[in-house]
Amino acid sequence: MALSRSTVSWLYVSPLMLVLIPFFVLPILVVLVASVFETDGFGGLIPTFTLANYGTVLTSGLTFNLYVETVKFTVLTWFFTLIIGFFVAYFLVFHVRNPLLAIGLFLICTVPFWTSNIIRMISWIPLLGKEGLINSALLRIGLIREPLEFLLYSSFAVVVAYVHQLTIFMIVPIFNSMARIDKRVVEAAIDAGASRFDIMRLIIVPLSKSGVALGSIFVASIVMGDFFVTKVMSGGGSASVVGAFYEDISVLQYPGAAASAIILTVVLLAMVSLILRTVDIRKEITR
Amino acid sequence: MADVRATKRALAPSRGSRPWTFYLLASLFTCYVIALYGPMICIYILSFQDVRGGLVFPMKGLSLHWFIDLFTQVRTGDVKGSFDRSIKLAILVTVITVVVSFMAAMAFRRRFPGDNIVFALMIGSLVAPGLVLGIGVGLLFNAIGIDTSPYGSALGAQLSWTLPFGVLVMFAVMSRFNPAWEEAAYDLGASAWQTIWLVFIPVLAPGLVAVALFGFTLSYDEFARTLQTAGPQNTLPLEIWSMTLNVTSPSLYALGTVTTIISFVIIGAALGTIVLIQKRRGARAT
Amino acid sequence: MAVLRGDIELAGLTKSYDGVHTVVQGINLKIPDGAYCCFLGPSGCGKTTILRMIAGHEDPTDGEIVIGGENVVGLPPVARGTAMMFQSYALFPHLSVRDNIAFALRIRGLSKEDRYRQTDAMIEKVRLTELADRLPAQLSGGQQQRVALARAAITQPRVLLLDEPLSALDEQLRVRMRVELQSMQRDLGITFIHVTHSQLEAIALADMVVVMDRGEIKQAGPARDVYATPRDRYVAEFLGGQNVFSGKVDAVKDDLVSFAAPQMQHIAVPVGASRVGKGDTMDVAVRRDDVELVRPGVELTADKSWLSSRVLAVEYQGNFVKVMLDATGSDEFVAYIPERVFFRDPYTIGDVVQATWPSHLARLLAKTTALTA
Repeated sequence: MALSRSTVSWLYVSPLMLVLIPFFVLPILVVLVASVFETDGFGGLIPTFTLANYGTVLTSGLTFNLYVETVKFTVLTWFFTLIIGFFVAYFLVFHVRNPLLAIGLFLICTVPFWTSNIIRMISWIPLLGKEGLINSALLRIGLIREPLEFLLYSSFAVVVAYVHQLTIFMIVPIFNSMARIDKRVVEAAIDAGASRFDIMRLIIVPLSKSGVALGSIFVASIVMGDFFVTKVMSGGGSASVVGAFYEDISVLQYPGAAASAIILTVVLLAMVSLILRTVDIRKEITR
Repeated sequence: MADVRATKRALAPSRGSRPWTFYLLASLFTCYVIALYGPMICIYILSFQDVRGGLVFPMKGLSLHWFIDLFTQVRTGDVKGSFDRSIKLAILVTVITVVVSFMAAMAFRRRFPGDNIVFALMIGSLVAPGLVLGIGVGLLFNAIGIDTSPYGSALGAQLSWTLPFGVLVMFAVMSRFNPAWEEAAYDLGASAWQTIWLVFIPVLAPGLVAVALFGFTLSYDEFARTLQTAGPQNTLPLEIWSMTLNVTSPSLYALGTVTTIISFVIIGAALGTIVLIQKRRGARAT
Repeated sequence: MAVLRGDIELAGLTKSYDGVHTVVQGINLKIPDGAYCCFLGPSGCGKTTILRMIAGHEDPTDGEIVIGGENVVGLPPVARGTAMMFQSYALFPHLSVRDNIAFALRIRGLSKEDRYRQTDAMIEKVRLTELADRLPAQLSGGQQQRVALARAAITQPRVLLLDEPLSALDEQLRVRMRVELQSMQRDLGITFIHVTHSQLEAIALADMVVVMDRGEIKQAGPARDVYATPRDRYVAEFLGGQNVFSGKVDAVKDDLVSFAAPQMQHIAVPVGASRVGKGDTMDVAVRRDDVELVRPGVELTADKSWLSSRVLAVEYQGNFVKVMLDATGSDEFVAYIPERVFFRDPYTIGDVVQATWPSHLARLLAKTTALTA
């Protein structure tokens, strides 16, 4: 007997659901439940219903600062990855004449993505450190007398590490949408007398929107969910929401941590669905 | 890639001098690539110092000291064991990711009731903070009374991250599959299974290899979700992380060099397979 | 009469995707075994849907599809004994020509040796022996079409279904491939059902033409009948070659109809099988190659009808000249004048002429729901 089409489709997605339900839906629910419990102070949870944890998290000035810090890093990283990613993709798609060369250069950009993020992060240490390559070079040519302190273990270092890791998440989707722009559209614009700037503003930017959206989702969600670049590269000077969450967990403050995690997740999901509202990612990818 | 080529010709006709923007963007691109590779190359070089070596330039001597140190010293932790676990885990994740992503993409070729919910869950799983999810999984396992372990809870937690990626890549791969091929196979008498084995898999083979590459490296590199789910035994990224916190010798760099070599072997194998598939198809022609 | 294996009967065949709009509306049709049948109509008329339902790629909402005396609704294509040649061919991109053609045999579990033996015979038949090891992407459009034909024919189907088989080819190749399709059909001796939007293709190939509009059959019959004696205005206009104009009937006398409008007073049309009364508005069809042009003042015999008009445009077509006239107001009126005849006394734009034809060659068309061009 033939199965109905939707039954077949559900059979096909059932393995995916078998992963997503126990390893995404349930864990989030567990965290949600923990966020309304009380702690006995020793890592145990007392099953009650209280919103006190949310109250504590939301009224604490510390949390507010954490969010400000995290949002600051997210916005800075997003900005720089977008600018670099957009123009690198634009260069590869519209300026490199030899197609094989373009693909080769594109691959060069993507290779580091396949190597360890942590290693790529710590690889900045010998460069940015007090006795690092940059400081010693600047000292030698006499541009500075004292080594620059802000290079490593600072907000600067955090942003550098993020941009280094995440620009690729902008390049790939933007490259993809730019590569699909019909050349005849651009030619028609040139025929109509559009300048280079007009073409960029009226054609390339609007038609790359889906790539930008997808890249922004990747970058923003990774930065907001990360704790460990901030921790290492700021040298403990800056904290992040997830970093504080981790600290809470290690001192067994589950409910407070859970409340903060839920708030973060809600903020993140709201942001992503806002982006998804502007472009139909599913249609864009399958097109 | 054909359309890339065409577009490029439109904006950069092969005759005439290049516009000033070309030089500007070329410099930007060069700077980006230098910044991308420069630091990594630094640590690869620094890992080959001898026993006097430190964390910064200048190079002190040239030896494999820190590589030997890495695998023999207790202080650096169980590097060998974590290597072993990470690779086995990554292979497991790769196989499951390829199979499950392929099946999900088959389902998403047409609309079905509830498809938007599945899609939303997938995106949610992709963007959810990894550490939060990891702790959720840890608490869940704790509540049910199962011990966390690399091939249990950590495997699942990693899949919740590699699968959405894999499915998104499969979507793009599948969009190049002409539905008429499936109908043609049905018309010629193929069963659903025969159509998958004889048409879908061979046609999509290069895309499936790409998904495998994604699965492997995402898992091999996964940190946040694994931290609270791997149990007492570390995977490689956890090992590297604990080293960044307490090892201040070029051993750390040596580990970076070793993992990068492994990554490159995997990339090479994947790209090689894709090229081989394409070549085998082309060879019969000429 | 005995039912032959390639006989097809469609009974009340209906298809609706959303339960509201029907794309195929209760089609009834018989296609005899061994016929070359063309479904002709504009895009969206439901012809491809019918083909796909016969093939088993879509299920009818209602009705029966009977092949060789057996209702095949619900059966998979192989059990129906049909094979389809897809639009743009849908050749498997990863398989060589030989493996594409051998695909169905592989599915049936034949050994490599057996299936290649059968396949090579087929490859020879479609003259692809030299290209047997190539991939589809390395073939020209015409070669791809031959592979698609061979792949469909290897299963020895009783019906071959062709979905716009020539649309992917350029004009010259299309004409050549038309000949190949016809000879292939003769060789195989099976029923061909061919879907097209080109009336040239349909007339050139088909024993039986089925003209469709909005999910309904407008006319079905031998190509010559449909072309020469279209049933209504839609068919006449879609197949071309006819002038169609309408007028209000003034009188019916001696089996001839005359019209009220002053410019139509010299026109008489045989009643034929139509039921006509005074005051009815009727469509009249006159073949464009039946029309002659004469200068005003030339005496015409009583058995001829004529219209006075002005030349709007002249198009040289090689063996004939197409002269467009303003004879019937809003309807297009065209005369195809043999090239030698035209150039004995050529007309230029603006000339006043009399368009004339033997009255018995004009035909009244069946009344249709307001279907205007």
